[in-house]
Formats: sequence, structure tokens, C-alpha cells
Amino acid sequence: MAPASCALCQKAKAILKRPKTGQQICKECFFFVFETEVHHTITNAKLFKPGDKVAIGASGGKDSTVLAYVMKTLNERYNYGLDLYLLSIDEGITGYRDDSLETVKRNQQQYSLPLKILTYEELYGWTMDAIVSEIGKKNNCTFCGVFRRQALDRGASSLNVDHIVTGHNADDIAETVLMNVMRGDIARLGRCTLICTQGEDSIKRSKPFMYAYEKEIVMYAYFKKLDYFSTECIYSPDAYRGHARTFLKDLEVARPSAIIDIIHSGEAFGVREDVKVTQKPQQTCKRCGYMSSNDLCKACTLLEGLERGMANSVTTDRARKKLDALGPAPDNLRTIPQFRPAHLPVSVELPKTDL
Amino acid sequence: MSSCGNPSTDQDALMPRRLRFNKGKDCIKCKANPGKIVIRHAVYCKECFIPLVMLKFRRSLEPSVNASAGTSKRPKLKASGSLVLGFSGGLGSSILLDMVHKTYFVNESSANGEARGGTNHPRSASVWTSCAVCYVEVCSAFPETRDRTNEIIKALAPYPKFDFIPLRLEYAFDDSWWRSITTTDQDRSQLTIELGKDGLYTEALRHGPSCDLSPVDALRTYLASLPTQTAISSAIRILVRLLLLYTARSHRASHLLLGTSLTTLSISLISCISQGGGHSIREEFQEEWYYGIPATTENADAIRVVRPLRDVTMKECSMFAWWNSIHVVGRDGQIRATAGIPGLTKDFIVGLEKDYPSTVSTIARTCAKLEPKNASPGLCILCQRPIQEGLDDWKTRISIRSYSDAKLGPDLVYLPTPVPPNSSDVTMSDQCPSISKQLCYSCRTTLTSRGSRAAKPTQPRVIHSTQQPLSAPLPMWVSASCAQLRTEDRQLMVLGNGEVWVGKRQDDATQRNEIAEFLLDT
Repeated sequence: MAPASCALCQKAKAILKRPKTGQQICKECFFFVFETEVHHTITNAKLFKPGDKVAIGASGGKDSTVLAYVMKTLNERYNYGLDLYLLSIDEGITGYRDDSLETVKRNQQQYSLPLKILTYEELYGWTMDAIVSEIGKKNNCTFCGVFRRQALDRGASSLNVDHIVTGHNADDIAETVLMNVMRGDIARLGRCTLICTQGEDSIKRSKPFMYAYEKEIVMYAYFKKLDYFSTECIYSPDAYRGHARTFLKDLEVARPSAIIDIIHSGEAFGVREDVKVTQKPQQTCKRCGYMSSNDLCKACTLLEGLERGMANSVTTDRARKKLDALGPAPDNLRTIPQFRPAHLPVSVELPKTDL
Repeated sequence: MSSCGNPSTDQDALMPRRLRFNKGKDCIKCKANPGKIVIRHAVYCKECFIPLVMLKFRRSLEPSVNASAGTSKRPKLKASGSLVLGFSGGLGSSILLDMVHKTYFVNESSANGEARGGTNHPRSASVWTSCAVCYVEVCSAFPETRDRTNEIIKALAPYPKFDFIPLRLEYAFDDSWWRSITTTDQDRSQLTIELGKDGLYTEALRHGPSCDLSPVDALRTYLASLPTQTAISSAIRILVRLLLLYTARSHRASHLLLGTSLTTLSISLISCISQGGGHSIREEFQEEWYYGIPATTENADAIRVVRPLRDVTMKECSMFAWWNSIHVVGRDGQIRATAGIPGLTKDFIVGLEKDYPSTVSTIARTCAKLEPKNASPGLCILCQRPIQEGLDDWKTRISIRSYSDAKLGPDLVYLPTPVPPNSSDVTMSDQCPSISKQLCYSCRTTLTSRGSRAAKPTQPRVIHSTQQPLSAPLPMWVSASCAQLRTEDRQLMVLGNGEVWVGKRQDDATQRNEIAEFLLDT
């Protein structure tokens, strides 16, 4: 059978089938539509204004590598006027994060972007290796996720940036919609399909890839020959999320549009007004000053559990009661440094080409 | 390796499953009898369990029986019309039938001759004037399955007070059935459509009747033309729902009851979200159906679709049926009706329920807290649920499907090899009108979204006189909705960009009223 011609330009030979539209297109058209769709996502949501300092959350994986490349390309092509930075978090996972950070450092050279690396150890006094040795592999994703979110905000604050962009893709968003429905997290369900979120006193966070399929990101990285680190985290993933991810992949096989259909559903519904008024207002953590729904933010609660040898206090009611029975936290407890959203100048590691 | 992860043990050794209940062995309610069933970590005896399920059933149903809430704290139950009960022969509808019969239609006297339950019990007054049980036979959709109507009739024998209405899936394409249930003298020419294309172009809108297939062949052609197994499951579900609703309307029913359990409700909700139906998530719980009129209209003739078992899990339904000796016909012949996303969702939720028993309840409670973000301008002509505005804009915003899009103009300069605008869409839309704007997102996706591998049609499609492999017939109500648009004072207009506009001719009086304040008395 003769190869099909590209469904878009009608000229070149089609070499791939887009999961998002089902169209068979050529390589050049794929690059164009992928980049232009991200550009449309950015401009329709009015994410940036000229002069903004934007940190790209970089893990060395495919999503963040492609994000860094596309952000730099679009910034130059459409004159966004952005100051771009790479911001990496070192969770302290031997054999995984140390290797992926090497990729980030190479990306720093390739894209000529300043890089800032913040470690869990310097921020919380614990590496993920130490946390896993304390609590085991079960529930360790809870610690890693909570700590990473706050670490990104703190890193961005220290870089004095206005905005963090992350490589969350359409598959991640669809999975989160399903997860939030299944675990009844109505607050997150209401905001997980927002392209840009911002809490009080916190930095804006955006997801320019929220309509980009994971498969298309991989295709883009493959055809552009981008340098990325593709190993999965060595600590077993959250079992419940694993179920949701497997389910989503099955749905995608049954009908590839399922991913974008779930996002469409998530954008079409919202939390009822009478339910919203019962939700807790956002406040600041009394211990570290970070945004929180309770007196203590989740990271401080997790850290207190770790420091007092009751790490599972956030995952089981029984352990929580046991921790409460021990009384208030001692004064010499290790805590997270005070969060300062004010813009303070810091030194960053610049690429060698700029030196 | 064994399930406990120890490589030195027998390969087939299974780790002992942790007991899911830890509240003791006696019934949590009466605290006297030994427990017989564990429901989400709580143990119940048979004597407490059955009233508990009945209570859940009445608590879900009775608040929606009366047309208006009124001011009384305990209003007397009185529906404004008759009752239609959707019966599939499955577990949920079987126990629903029994519950409705025992609670509202049988007034058995107790040993001393008095009405059981007192004079205020719902049994003592007829809440509904009559009840009809409606069964939709789907065997025509799957040639390998058998007709089970006779089995259903036998299963309904213990309920002589209920009328039986047998329906068949192909009635959705049957002009004579449509005439029997609708009173308006509308244009009944059947609409055909080119499925699988984004524009969903219809030839029949312009050329009139074009389909001479028998209802069964029309049904099979329609299903065979759908692009995925998910679409077929979804289409059958819509056909069954609309057949029930139109039948309920023709019987002047105020309520249509369905035997959806908590487990099946959760499956429907996740399946609905996965197929892009987030805008109509409320309708999966409870729906007020107004024929062709948006749900915002105050209309006393609305049919309330109620799922009284929405708080009862499938496990509870099974035990209730077993302890009450309720005969369940079963639905194993409809395996293909739950393929694709609905089938995957069912497997996922049922599997998840074993390890996380609260999940189904959490899904239902979470979705009950949601509402559509925007108001609906009307109803989808296929599923008759609310549609959203701006669907085309959304699709254009998130994906580029053609270089002919005007919004793409400034970006095309960055394409390495410039291309002329693609004219094929313009030509197609110029020739044929499209119904895509009258469809909700979910139905549009059902008709156009393809699988990862291109599905080959298994049935011959309707071949037009031009010999193009064009069209599949659409259900009668779709044709009727389009016919409404073609009445005397309205006209369908197709624009160059594929949009279909409905032009409404204004008479002189209306025009004069609109400018009245600017006219001088002469």
C-alpha cells in the first residue's frame, strides 16, 4: 500500500498518526502543530507578560526536557520577552535523581539557560532514600509529592521568578481528574483542570502541556533527538494512582480521544456553590509560613512525623492519634525554614557558555 | 513467586487476605443477632439488613415523587402522572420491581384485618395511577443473541398489577412506532448522516428521505457505521434510554424508575466523564426530561428519571434478591453492549471495589457535588441532554486539524514549507449541512472519534444513488428535531465554514414591535 500523504500539508509523506486527532501527518507538520498548539495554550490563557521571569521545573525526564526546549523556541519565535530559568529539585534518590540531574545539567548547556538545584536534604534535612528507609516504599509518594511542590515554590522564590511552568501533560491531567473523583478530593477536582493556579502569596504555576498527549511529547523528543532521562522512579509508585494510570491507558487504547475527553469533562463541571462555602479557607502555616488549609501545612506535618519517629501519622488515623497523645512538638524539633515569597536576589549557576 | 513475595514458598501460595471487618461478629444495628453480611466494614443480620435496604430505596425515591416540595414536613405522596419502570431483567431492575410492587401497589392486610403499616403508609394510597414495566429487547443489535421477551414476561408473572410494554431497539428507527407515540404531524423522513467525519454532514437535510431500510437493517447499519466499540455501547445506551423516555411520555408518566445500583451508578459516572460527558454529569444521577425543551423551563409535564437504588451497592442488591427469593433473569446476552470504555470502566470499578470498598460511594458522593459550569442553550438532538456552547472553539483552541482555519493565519509563516489553505472542508460544508452544532460533546465524540486502529465496517453501509459510501440512518427523534428546524418559518442555512444557521422569518408585527419606541404616531 502506498504511504499516505500528510493530512495537513497534503505534500509530504505521513510518518506518524497523531493520537490526539487521529490524523496521519509528516514530521515537519507535527513539529509545527505541536509547537503552535502549545503557543495557543499559552496565549489563549494569557499566561505571561513581557519581562516575566519564568522557572521551568526540570527533572531531566521527557516532559520537562521537551518543555524547556519548546519554551525556549517559542520565546524566541514569538518574542514573549521571558527570562527563562531551569529549576530542579534533588529528592535524594540514589541511582535515579542523581542520574537524571546529569541530564538537566546537559540541558542547561544545550539550551543556555541558568539552572538552580534545590535539595530535599538542605530544605527538610531528609533525602527520599532516608525517608524510604524510615517508612518503607508504601506511601512514600505522599512525602515526595508534598515536599516537591513546596520545594519548587521555595526554589522559585529564591530565584525571584514570577512563574513556574511544569511539564504536566494531558495524560497527567486526565489521571488527576479521575483520581480526584475516586478519592473525593473536591477541592483539587475544582482546580486540577485550571491551566494556571496561584494561591495567596504564592507563585503562579502553569501547565503549557495540559492539552499535549504524553505520546506526542515522546514523539517530539524522539524526532528532535532531545536528550532526556527515561527511567521510572525506583521507588514503587502509589498503588492507587497506579490503578488509575493503568485504567487511563486502557481507555486510551479503546479510544485515544478519551484523554482529552476526560479533560473536557473536568473543564465542563465545577463544584456546586453550596459545597464551596463549606470548604476550608486557605491560610498560612503557623510554623513555616507556606500556604495551608490547616494550622500546619502538609510538609510540616509530614516532617514532624518523620522527626518524631511517627512517619505514618499522616497516613493512618491510629498513628495520628498516637502522635497527638504524645503532646505538642518539642521546641528543638527540626523544621522547614520560613517561607519568604518576597523576591530576594540569589546566585544561580549559569551555563558555561555564558561565563 | 507467591503473592506474599517470598521466593522460597510455594508458587501458588496465597497470602491470607486481611479481614475487612473489625467491628465484631454481631449485627451493628440490633447488636443481638449474629451478623450475616458485611457492608463496608459493618456487619448486619438479615432482619436488619432488609429494612435498611428498603429505607435507602424510599429515601432516594420519595423526595422526588411529588411535583413540588410543598410546605409540609411529611407531605402525602402523590405523583402527577403514572409510573414507568425500566426493566432489563438484570439484578437492579428485578429488585426495584419487587420493591415498588411491595411498597406502593400491594396493600396486604395483617392478621387482625387492618391495613399493614397504618393508614398513612404509602401502600394505603395510590401514589401513581398505574405502573407499566417497559423492557427493551436488544437482540436485533447482536445477531448471535436470542430474544428474551418471553423470559421477561414469565419473570413479570408475580406482578399482575403492572402493565407490560415490550419494546425493541429497532423501534428507534421505526416510523410506525414513532407515529404511534408522537402526536404531532411532523416531517418523518429519516435523516442519514456520514459518520466518522468531524463535520457530521447530512445529505438528508437537503435531499429529503433517502433511507428505505427496514428498522432492523437501519439499526444495524447505524451501529456498524460507528467508529468504535465504545461508540456502539454508548449508542445502544442512548437508544434504550430514549425509547424508555418516549414511551413514558406517551403513557403520560410522571416518573421513570431505573434499577441503577450504587455500583452501576459509579460505573456510569466514570464512563460518562471518560467520554466527555462532564457537562451532563447531573443527569446521570437524576434527570428531568422535557421533550425538546431545555431543562430550565418550568414544565409540569416533565418526566423525572429516578434511580431509587443509587445508595445500594451491587453486593447489597445480590443479598436482597437472595433473601427475598427474587428471580433475576440475567443479562449475559448483552456482553457486547458493554464493550469499550463502559466495559473497561465496569471491570475497573468492580475490581477496585474489592480492595477499596468505599470507592463506589466516594465516586457517587463526589459527583453529586458537581454542576455544569455554564448554562445550556438547548438539548442535544441525539441524547436529548444539555449541550454546551463553544465546542468548536474549544476544539480549535486545543488542536490544529486543518491549515484552513483563519485563526492559524499568522502562525503559518513558521511552517518550513508553506502550504495553500486546504479547501476540502469548505467544499464539503458548502454542499451538505452539518448537525454537529446540535450535538453535545459526548455524542459528537461518539460519532466521530476513532479507535487507535481504524475499524473496518462489518455491515454494508447505506449506498446512495451517487454510489458514495455515505450514510447511516439516525434515530427517529433526531430526524424529528431536524424537521422542527425545517418548519415553515425557519430555514437551515449552510455557511462556507461549515456552520449551520437556522434562519427564522419574522413577521411584520414582530419587526414593528422591536422598533416600536422609535416610530412616530402618524
